[in-house]
Amino acid sequence: MENLKKNPLVKKIGLNRILLVGVLIVMYVAFAVISPTFLSYSRIMSALNYVYFLGFLSLGVTFVIATGGIDFSIGPVMFCCALIAGYSLTSYGVPMALALVISILVGCCFGIFNGYLVAYWSVPPFIVSMASMNIAKGLASVFTKTQSVSWPQLSAEGGWYRYLVKVGNIPVGLFIFIGVAIICAIILNKTMIGRYILCLGSNKEAVRLSGVNVKRWEMTAYAICGVLVGIAAIFFVSAYTTVQPGYGDQYNNEAIAGCVMGGTSMAGGLASISGTVIGVFIIALLQEGILALGMNKNYQLIITGIIVIAAVYFDVLGRRRKN
Amino acid sequence: MGDVILTMKGIDKSFPGVHALDHVDLEVRRGEVHALMGENGAGKSTLMKVLTGIYTKDSGTITFEGKEVEFHNTREAQDAGIVIVHQELNMLGHLTVAQNIFFGREFKKGFGIDDKKMNEEAAKLFQKLNIDIDPTDTMSDLTVGKQQMCEIAKAISHEAKVIVFDEPSAALTETEIEELFKIIRDLRAQGLGIIYISHRMDEIKVITDRVTVMRDGTYVGTLITEECTKNDIINMMVGRVIYEDPKTHSMVPEGAPVVLKVEHLNAGKMVQDVSFELHKGEILGFSGLMGAGRTETARAIFGADPKESGKIYINGREVTINTPEDAVKYGIGYLSEDRKRYGVVVQKSVAENTTMATLKKFVNGIFINKKKEEQVAQDYVKSLDTKTPGIDQLVVNLSGGNQQKVVIAKWLTRDCDILIFDEPTRGIDVGAKNEIYKLMNKLAAEGKAIIMISSEMTEILRMSDRIVIMCEGKITGEIGIEEATQENIMNLATREIS
Repeated sequence: MENLKKNPLVKKIGLNRILLVGVLIVMYVAFAVISPTFLSYSRIMSALNYVYFLGFLSLGVTFVIATGGIDFSIGPVMFCCALIAGYSLTSYGVPMALALVISILVGCCFGIFNGYLVAYWSVPPFIVSMASMNIAKGLASVFTKTQSVSWPQLSAEGGWYRYLVKVGNIPVGLFIFIGVAIICAIILNKTMIGRYILCLGSNKEAVRLSGVNVKRWEMTAYAICGVLVGIAAIFFVSAYTTVQPGYGDQYNNEAIAGCVMGGTSMAGGLASISGTVIGVFIIALLQEGILALGMNKNYQLIITGIIVIAAVYFDVLGRRRKN
Repeated sequence: MGDVILTMKGIDKSFPGVHALDHVDLEVRRGEVHALMGENGAGKSTLMKVLTGIYTKDSGTITFEGKEVEFHNTREAQDAGIVIVHQELNMLGHLTVAQNIFFGREFKKGFGIDDKKMNEEAAKLFQKLNIDIDPTDTMSDLTVGKQQMCEIAKAISHEAKVIVFDEPSAALTETEIEELFKIIRDLRAQGLGIIYISHRMDEIKVITDRVTVMRDGTYVGTLITEECTKNDIINMMVGRVIYEDPKTHSMVPEGAPVVLKVEHLNAGKMVQDVSFELHKGEILGFSGLMGAGRTETARAIFGADPKESGKIYINGREVTINTPEDAVKYGIGYLSEDRKRYGVVVQKSVAENTTMATLKKFVNGIFINKKKEEQVAQDYVKSLDTKTPGIDQLVVNLSGGNQQKVVIAKWLTRDCDILIFDEPTRGIDVGAKNEIYKLMNKLAAEGKAIIMISSEMTEILRMSDRIVIMCEGKITGEIGIEEATQENIMNLATREIS
C-alpha cells in the first residue's frame, strides 16, 4: 500500500479515485452476477438516466462544499425549476427553448439568493439552504396550484428536448454530462473563480486580508451550483417526464454523497470534479442494483446515509492525521 | 506577611525551539500581594500555567503548604487551593451570576439543578467579599468590572489559598480598580497569598508588597516594593545585553515625502485618536505592551476592521478604506502577527499564496496563466531565499520564517509601497530573524515605507528609524532613533493616561 502510494501515476490520479473506480467495477460485476438482467441495455440506460440529473446536482454542490458551505436545497430547487418551467410550457404556452432557459434561470436565482445570504449576511449555509428548500417547495406548489406537471413526449410538440438525453440508441446525455463536468473541472482548477473558491474554503480570513472580495466569490459558488441545478431539472424531466410539487429531498443526500465520496472535503478548500463524477456513478449503480435485485427502495436511503457518514468520517480522519 | 505558602524553585520548561523558562524561582507568603513583572514574552504566563497544571514542568519543584506538589490540570490545582483569575474572563454570558460561579459543580436536587441553593451560596460569598451583586442577574448584563468581581468570588468559592490575578485591571475603570484593590487587601488580611501580574507600574507601587521580575524566561530578582523605585523595576525588566547593534541614526533621506498620513483615527476602545505620519523609505516602529492597540490600529488602517472616524491620506490625497480590498488598491500590504490564520492559506501551494493578492495580473481571458504564476513565484523564492522543496509545496510544510517570506512575496508581487509588519519575527528562529531584518532594510532602502509593530525591544531599537509608542489605545509618544532608549520607551509604554 505504501509503495502504491508513491507510484507517480497513482499520485497523479489520486489513490482515492483509483479505489473508487475499483469499487465501481466490483459493484457492477457483483450486481451482474447476482442479477442476469443487470447487463441488459434498458438497465444501463435506466442507470444513466439517474446519473444525468444526479450528476449535475452533485457537480453543483461540489462548488458549494468547496467553499466550506453546504446546500440542502438542491433537490427541491431542481423540482421547483422543473415545475415552474414545465407549467409555463403547458399552461402559458411558452416555447420549449424558453422553458429550458426558465429552468436554468430559476436555479440560478435560488443559487444567488442562497449565496447572497451566506456571503453578505453571514447566515449559516445550513440554515439558508434548509429555508430555501421550503421556499422552493412552497413556491412550486403555489405556481402550479399544487398540480403535477408532465413535460411533452418525444413525439409531441417541443419534444426535441429529449434528444439531450438520447438520440436513437446513442446516450447523448452522457456526453453532455461529461462535457459539463470537464468545464466544471476547468473552472475549478484553471480559473480565478475556482482558485478563490478553493482558497476561501481553506482560509477565508487570509484571503480577505489579501484584498480579495471574498463575498463575491463565495456567492459565485452558490450561483454556479444554482445553474447546474437548473440543468439537472431539464435532464430529470427528459428521463422521468412528470414532476410533483413537494418532493426532491432525497436527492440532496445522494448528490452530497456522490460529492464527498469523490474526495471533496466537507471542511472546504479541497474538491475533485473527477471524484464527484465517479461518486455519482456509484450512487446511480447502487440505485439501479437495488431495483434489479428487487430489494425494497428504502435500503437505498439507508446505504446512502451510511456512505455520507463514512466518507465524511474518512475525510476528518485524514485531516486529523495530517495535523 | 506570614510564613511561606508557595515556593517554586528551579522551574524549567522548553517548547520546541524555545527555552520558555530557565530555572525560575518564585516565593509567595501568606498575607502578601506579590507582583510578577516582565516584558511580553518574559515567561510570566508560562510560569503561571506551570503552577496551575496547564503545562507540565521539565524540572524544578513546587512546594505548597510545606508539601511538594505536581498538578496535572487546573482542576487539581483548584482542589488544592490555587486558582487563577484570567485576564480574559471565562464567563458564560447567558447564564446567571450564581450559575457561572458554580459552573461544573452545580448543586443538585434530584435530577435537576438547585438554583435556589446556588443563589444563596453566591449571596453568602458576595457578602463575605463586601460586593454588591445580585446572584440572579444575567452575567452579560454586568459591567466588565462586576464580571471580574464574579471571577474573584468564583476563585474564593474554591477555598483558594493562593490566587493569581493575571492583569486584572486591564479592562477596568478607575473606580472599579479602587474596588478591586479593596477586595485584594481584604483577601490579604485573611492570609491568602496573592500573585499579581500587571504592566501598570503605578499599581504595583500601590497594591503589592514584593516584586519578582522575569526577563527572557529567566528569574532576575525579587525586591521589596517599598524599597524600590519605578526605574529600578524597569531596569530589571529591560536590562538585557543587546547583542544586536541598535540603529544609531535614521536611514531616511532628508525631506523624504510623507506617503501615509493618519489623522485622528478612532476604532473602538483600542484605537483612540491615533495620528501619525510615515515617510518614504522609513521603518516606523510601533512599540508598546500587549493590548496597547497597535494591531487594532493596523487593522483599522488596512480596512480589516471598521473605523469610527479619522482620515487617511496616501501621498497627500485623502482616501476611503473600508475593506482590505480598498487598502490593497492603494498599495498597502499587511503582514499579520498570526501568519497561519491571517497571512497564508496553509493548505495551498507557495505559488498560489504568492499570487493571492494579484491573481488578476496572471489571468489570460478567464484562465490563470500558470506558467507566468510559477515564474514569478520561482523568482521570489530565489530572491528572498525561501527554503522550500518547490513552488508547488504546500505552505503548511514550511517553517515560520519561510512562511513569512511567502507573505512578503505576496505583497511584493502586488508592488505595495506601504507594508505593515505586525510582529514580523514572532515564532521565527534566530537565524531566520536576521534574514527577515535584512530583507526589511533592503525594502526600506528601495523606497518602501514600513510600519513595524513589535513587542521586542531589541527589534524596535535595531530596525526603527523612528518609534511611535502606544499605551491603552492611545499614542503616548514619538521618539527618533537617535534619542531612543529602552528606558524612555518603556516609560511611555507603561504611562498611565488619566
